[in-house]
Amino acid sequence: MSHTASKIHADKAAIFCKDEDRVNWHSKALWLLREKRDRAASSLPEWEQLRQLGSEIKLHTLTNLAKYLEMFEQNCQANGIQVHWAKDAAEHNEIVHGILSHHQVKKLVKSKSMLTEECHMNPYLEERGIEVIDTDLGERIIQLAGQPPSHIVVPAIHLKKEEVGELFHEKIGTEAGASDPTYLTRAARAHLREQFLSADAAMTGVNMAIAEKGAVVVCTNEGNADMGANLPKVQIHSMGMDKMVPNLDSAAVLLRMLARNATGQPVTTYSSFYRGPKAGGEMHVVIVDNGRSNMLKDKILAESLKCIRCGGCMNTCPVYRRSGGHSYNYTIPGPIGIAVGAQKDDTNSIAWACTLCGSCTQVCPTKVPLDKIIHHHRRLKAEAGNLPYGKRSYMPVVGKVMGSAPMLNTSMAMARTALRILPGSLLKPFAGAWGKYRELPVAPKSSFEAWYKKNRS
Amino acid sequence: MSSKSFILKALEQTAIAPQPMPEINVAPRVDDLIGQFETNLNTVAGVLHRAGSLDLVQEKVNTLVAEGKQVISLVDGINANRETPEDQHDLKDIDFAVIPGELAVAENGAIWVKQPEGHRVTPFICENLLLVVEADNVVANMHQAVKKLTLDSGKFGAFIAGPSKTADIEQALVVGAHGACSLNVYLV
Ligand code: SF4
Repeated sequence: MSHTASKIHADKAAIFCKDEDRVNWHSKALWLLREKRDRAASSLPEWEQLRQLGSEIKLHTLTNLAKYLEMFEQNCQANGIQVHWAKDAAEHNEIVHGILSHHQVKKLVKSKSMLTEECHMNPYLEERGIEVIDTDLGERIIQLAGQPPSHIVVPAIHLKKEEVGELFHEKIGTEAGASDPTYLTRAARAHLREQFLSADAAMTGVNMAIAEKGAVVVCTNEGNADMGANLPKVQIHSMGMDKMVPNLDSAAVLLRMLARNATGQPVTTYSSFYRGPKAGGEMHVVIVDNGRSNMLKDKILAESLKCIRCGGCMNTCPVYRRSGGHSYNYTIPGPIGIAVGAQKDDTNSIAWACTLCGSCTQVCPTKVPLDKIIHHHRRLKAEAGNLPYGKRSYMPVVGKVMGSAPMLNTSMAMARTALRILPGSLLKPFAGAWGKYRELPVAPKSSFEAWYKKNRS
Repeated sequence: MSSKSFILKALEQTAIAPQPMPEINVAPRVDDLIGQFETNLNTVAGVLHRAGSLDLVQEKVNTLVAEGKQVISLVDGINANRETPEDQHDLKDIDFAVIPGELAVAENGAIWVKQPEGHRVTPFICENLLLVVEADNVVANMHQAVKKLTLDSGKFGAFIAGPSKTADIEQALVVGAHGACSLNVYLV
């Protein structure tokens, strides 16, 4: 599927595209989510008002982030919650390990958290002898398969039920050949229940952190975060510092959009508010920077921190749907993955995994200007001399030709003639990657310039 | 420098212009609140019973107990056959839990459940969940709900909208993931 030496987006996408049926199926599954989202959004007359509010709430919080983080910490402490600060992934992992080893934790049950993926926490803890069990069904599937998630909301969207059946047969002993989703889900429920009941600590991500209350909000459909956090003595919540909101009223606005924009549900099954540890237990919150404060220093990149991780932009993205989440050289794929990951992308290719069609920006519940951010990344890459392989050689030439009218006219005339008289098979190689999945255009009889001169000037 | 000071210092250089906090003033849809709630509860795979009185809830519990089900009740006035155990792990064979809901939200079918007596895990570990909500406590939307709910310091609370579910295998909806496999709501 996605195992390749190359980390370049187009190369990895090409491997995914080899199986045409799978690509079509993948694209359709995501489009279904997009359609459900459209229905949910259009059933609320106030949808656009909510988007505007969502955007303004997040911007307000980001421009006052230091104030709200400190308020949050103080209120958490007043509620009996222990707060930790991590400037990067390494420190996050050390803090978590510190808490776990203090309690001699052997088994950690974890609900979905893209932040811990970003920090590569699982392998870090496993190397130190702690068993980490992902408990979201999709996450558990890919954990058993030894793969990273390919989507932030539906992490195993790239796998078919037969593949899950085979995997479960091998790893948790379901019947050979069984592929019924209900049967497989029930088997996973029984298997994971044992894990919940025997875990020493639980960890969850955070959907929102409420400054005024000193509380964190965790949303799931499966109930795995709550089965986890409420059973063992120790609960840990890891949050990117962009998850801050000022108060309950702001959380209400975002909660109205999160699930609707993700899967078309009116709200997730469980939206849980933790404002302190259970009796006799401990609750920890780890606030993580890991590059976020740096992004805030750039006016355009800063807006990507308005994201509430609904995944809506992936479901609508024509590139994501047809290249799969594993083709992006980053933990988070799709448009938002490019927005927050392009700076760290050493292949300098993911900023180009986008048609700039802007569909993502239109569906985003907090109005993250994704296309603008992605375009900005390309400029930053170009200015740093980091154009991806291929573009580096011909882009300057294209620039010269496009900048000079006579040169452009001559070359376009040549192209029109060539398209008319030469066979496609001879010309296709010249179309490069562009022509790989496309037919060559039919050449117009004359140029636009000639037409314009005759008819308009 | 501590990481906290490092982060707070880095935040001094934020490039975006200060934005005021917007006023949140969204017009609620107030027609037929209970009807709206029922429709949305159905969407999230829950079932509404317009019971009208606790007697009907007790009748339901009696039937379940007669069938040999393990039932625990945290609602005053409803008697069941199991007590809150010392160790929360002993809740693992509870078939039905009857728990009070503080508010119901018409717009999305969610019910605000305050920290239950005994163990926090009760609403999640039981096989099936019965929530009892007063009919006067149905609010139009989440904006109204957060104004009215209680979430005390050191406590927990959750909006619960339907039984647990997943669509992680080929997008096929399966009801009953890790939490309760069914949700029945009684309006009294
Ligand atoms: S950028 Fe917007 S659409 Fe994409 S995941 Fe974030 S909030 Fe959702």
